[in-house]
Amino acid sequence: TRPDVNPLPQGTHLLFAQSGRIDHIPLEGYDMKKDGAKAVLHLPEKVIIGVAYDCVEKMVYWTEITSPSISKASIQGGEPTAVIRSDLDSPEGIAIDHLGRTMFWTDSVRDHIEVASLDGSQRRVIIDSDLVNPRAIITDPPNGNLYWADWNRDAPKIETSYMDGSNRRVLVKDDLGLPNGLTYDSQSSLLCWADAGTHKMECTHPGQGDRRMVMEGLQYPFGITSFGKNIYYTDWRRDAVVAVDRHSGKESDEFQPQKRTKIYGIATAYAQCPSGQNYCAVN
Amino acid sequence: DATRGSSDCEPCPCPAGATCAVVPSTREVVCTNCPTGTTGKRCELCDDGFFGDPLGQSGPVRSCRACKCSDNIDPNAVGNCDRETGECLKCIYNTDGFFCDRCKDGFYGNAMAGSAADKCNACSCSAFGTVGRQTGCSQVTGQCECLPNVAERDCGACQPGFFNLQSASGCERCNCNPIGSTN
Repeated sequence: TRPDVNPLPQGTHLLFAQSGRIDHIPLEGYDMKKDGAKAVLHLPEKVIIGVAYDCVEKMVYWTEITSPSISKASIQGGEPTAVIRSDLDSPEGIAIDHLGRTMFWTDSVRDHIEVASLDGSQRRVIIDSDLVNPRAIITDPPNGNLYWADWNRDAPKIETSYMDGSNRRVLVKDDLGLPNGLTYDSQSSLLCWADAGTHKMECTHPGQGDRRMVMEGLQYPFGITSFGKNIYYTDWRRDAVVAVDRHSGKESDEFQPQKRTKIYGIATAYAQCPSGQNYCAVN
Repeated sequence: DATRGSSDCEPCPCPAGATCAVVPSTREVVCTNCPTGTTGKRCELCDDGFFGDPLGQSGPVRSCRACKCSDNIDPNAVGNCDRETGECLKCIYNTDGFFCDRCKDGFYGNAMAGSAADKCNACSCSAFGTVGRQTGCSQVTGQCECLPNVAERDCGACQPGFFNLQSASGCERCNCNPIGSTN
């Protein structure tokens, strides 16, 4: 098989970044088909941090910090293409609005959040104040909402705004440590996060202000993604992808790649786009 | 290419234990399973958070070791140091320098101090009392560069017997009559 690009078979997959490569694990129902795990992309000189998936064009997008850039490649086998390569310092989290055809990312040195079209054009800073260590970023395209987390040790917080950066509000600020990972499940309308400081996984319905704990005793979560009843997170201590059942609050499985080194971002590559139309298309 | 039936298989140009593969578009050979802590096409690079030159490509072999940044980086951050040179890229606590070993411009103190509060403090030079309204100060003592007859570390006061710091051109002698003044 070619080492740079391996086409993904049909179905839903997890995509995760580990030391210069993006790997995938096929999902069978909610179970990780660990035997089927293999590399999607080899980028041996890069340090890939954030991973996101565009379900429309079946493209994986990633941020990279050694020659800071944002790139994409088809998961059906295609050459990696850089879409943003200038004016980046430390791009970390990345999120796709598959309805609006835009991408959002955080930069932890410039301390801001940017948006651009998926081809890299129409680039604009939408949040540029009160950020110290912005990392995870997530979209909710049908409702037009953006969510992000800042792991500032002095004042960690999870925030939201509309997709143009307006109507910015703090959602969670109490009892947080290092909220590294953030995920939104559109079916349950749950925003969940994994915290490497409190070692907890917690969720909230952003509109209701409730808060409930899914699980405690996590070791060192970095990235997190959801699919149905499950939440999957990457763990820096175990160098593994861990599956958690959101309802039982129990770890159901773990996948430890052969290579023992930190795993960064993780994303769900849906077989089909989640239902929902562009919030702006309603009016 | 073992499919041709000939035995033209060559050993991987990779450290022991690593596997390799050929990129079809470029015919380039890439190592696919580098030893722990290393990465790159030939396993010539260190993982994020480490630095060195594991194959000795630009000098003697330096095995990968954790970023050395005077305890002035955050272990939860990514890209803390250059993977080859070890230059620190994400100094915190207002430190700066190759090893985060000095205070950044506009701050003074001891970057190597044990607790964050003792490390680097802002110069906070007085805008009125400092030469050219500079914001920098001595890295060690924190002394700002004062205008004539101005005192204090931050140049925020006139020397005894002088007044009018607000003039921003140095303090003037009081010129009080020695007979009519109380001291």
